[in-house]
Amino acid sequence: MTTSSLVFMALSWAFVLGLTFWAFGRILLKKKS
Amino acid sequence: MQKNHAHEVWGSRIGLILAMAGNAVGLGNFLRFPTQATVNGGGSFMITYFVALLLLGIPLMWIEWGIGRHGGRYRKGHIPGMFAALWRHPAAKYVGVLGLVIPLVVLIYYTYIESWTMAYTLFSITKDYWGRETQEAMVQYLQSFQSIGDASVHGTWKPFAFFVATLSINIWIVSKGISGGIERLAKIGMPLLFLFALILAVVVLSMPARPGIGASAIDGLQFIYRPDLSGLGRPGVWLASAGQIFFTLSVGMGTLQTYASYLNRKDDILLSGVATSATNETAEVLLGGSIAIPAAVVFFGVTGAVQIASSGAFNLGFATMPVVFQQLPLGNVLGFMWFGLLFFAGITSSVAMATPIVAFFREEFGFRREPVAWTLGAVVLVLGVLQILWLDYGVLDEWDYWAGTFGLALFAVVEVIVFMWIFRPENAWNSIHEGADITLPRIFKFIMTFVTPAYLLFIFCWWGYEDALPILAMDKSPDGGSYAPEAEPYILISRLLIVAFFVVFLFLIRLAWKRNAYDDRLGFTEPEDEEAADPHIAEQVVV
Repeated sequence: MTTSSLVFMALSWAFVLGLTFWAFGRILLKKKS
Repeated sequence: MQKNHAHEVWGSRIGLILAMAGNAVGLGNFLRFPTQATVNGGGSFMITYFVALLLLGIPLMWIEWGIGRHGGRYRKGHIPGMFAALWRHPAAKYVGVLGLVIPLVVLIYYTYIESWTMAYTLFSITKDYWGRETQEAMVQYLQSFQSIGDASVHGTWKPFAFFVATLSINIWIVSKGISGGIERLAKIGMPLLFLFALILAVVVLSMPARPGIGASAIDGLQFIYRPDLSGLGRPGVWLASAGQIFFTLSVGMGTLQTYASYLNRKDDILLSGVATSATNETAEVLLGGSIAIPAAVVFFGVTGAVQIASSGAFNLGFATMPVVFQQLPLGNVLGFMWFGLLFFAGITSSVAMATPIVAFFREEFGFRREPVAWTLGAVVLVLGVLQILWLDYGVLDEWDYWAGTFGLALFAVVEVIVFMWIFRPENAWNSIHEGADITLPRIFKFIMTFVTPAYLLFIFCWWGYEDALPILAMDKSPDGGSYAPEAEPYILISRLLIVAFFVVFLFLIRLAWKRNAYDDRLGFTEPEDEEAADPHIAEQVVV
């Protein structure tokens, strides 16, 4: 796998995972408070 | 004016998000997405895909949640009622007919496709297709299952039996209600779906290159994520990615709105909408992209995988994957997981399609949930049998085009205009922020008012010009080919059936409004004491 493809894949995965963790993190924090 | 408060509630916020995500995560996440990414240039597709997610998908998700929750204030869980609550005009309820016909049509053929996944779950665990180790042999196996009259492999009774079983499970779940049926299914089905997908992704990505082929699963990922940006100048790539975002989030169907109608004004919809979209995207990009195409690349090489993807998503899922499983240790268990996850992806979407119709009959005619659900099941059974018998004539593709492609785009255009323009941007913006856990940057108000409608109108007009008109005139078929002369009468009958659904539902809407003495110009009356009017609200989990 080329480095540029790897970077592109990592960015795509980081975006969707980041959005997921951010959203559920906010929900869980709200629940605790 | 609300004579019947047939309203239910969600048991918990996580249950709601799982059900919403289950509604969104469907067969398209695991079959359509990798196919689209592969045939539309990988990297270019992914860039345009994320742009469409931000400008089209997530804004539409918020708009649909907003329409649904606003309708729920007046105890309206169906689109005619929701539109009438937003737009005090006699036409509003009739425009909302789209939100009853589209989910019904899609429910009929989608349940049939879902029954294939149930059948293949069983065929996998029992090793029924073992020994058919080539793509051609598995395509023949699939065609024999689908095609009535081709009993070379499967008995004629099989597609009917699996369809009846799948439909019965669907209707049973719907008959148990929102909290007792749909939410419970989501809480079981969604974790299992993610578990199965994760195991399969790990197995596939750890597969070494095979002798004679020389490509590894990582080469499959390389193929999807190659940063080829040359496609950014091609409108087709932008349309394909926008279409994928559209289908994958289940917008334009009328189902997300019905789920959201079971919320109250104190519940957040913005953060929950993001969580739902993000869960769907994780299932699609991370898992959906890491299973079928990488597996096909290992066994058929990059060129072979592209050919398979170009021949259709079903060949990839129902022929290529079984070929792969036969070569792997515990392949029957992996096959069970693959088709099991497709089944869960399908059923969590199909039960959602039934809910607007059930809500309409319960709320407007006062019927009990169980009889409505089972009557709907009987209608779907009769028309689903037609789908089975007429599959070879392209009737399923025809319905999928008019309801599942063109219809969704049309409905989305209409709902954005009703919510953002007729209801007015300021009202819409304030409405979606009621009870919100996050505050959206103001730029999203501009996006939802102008960019999302423009994006949608462009897609709708493009598809209308490129496909809808030639298909309507029967100059080309939905798959890009031409209609066989012997298929044309069946295609025309299938179109007349869709027209008949519109006529029947328009009549029922008129009947409902007369029966309940609704005044279109006055709108609905909001229950004065919300908690007193709906005892379930006290039980709602408002995080």
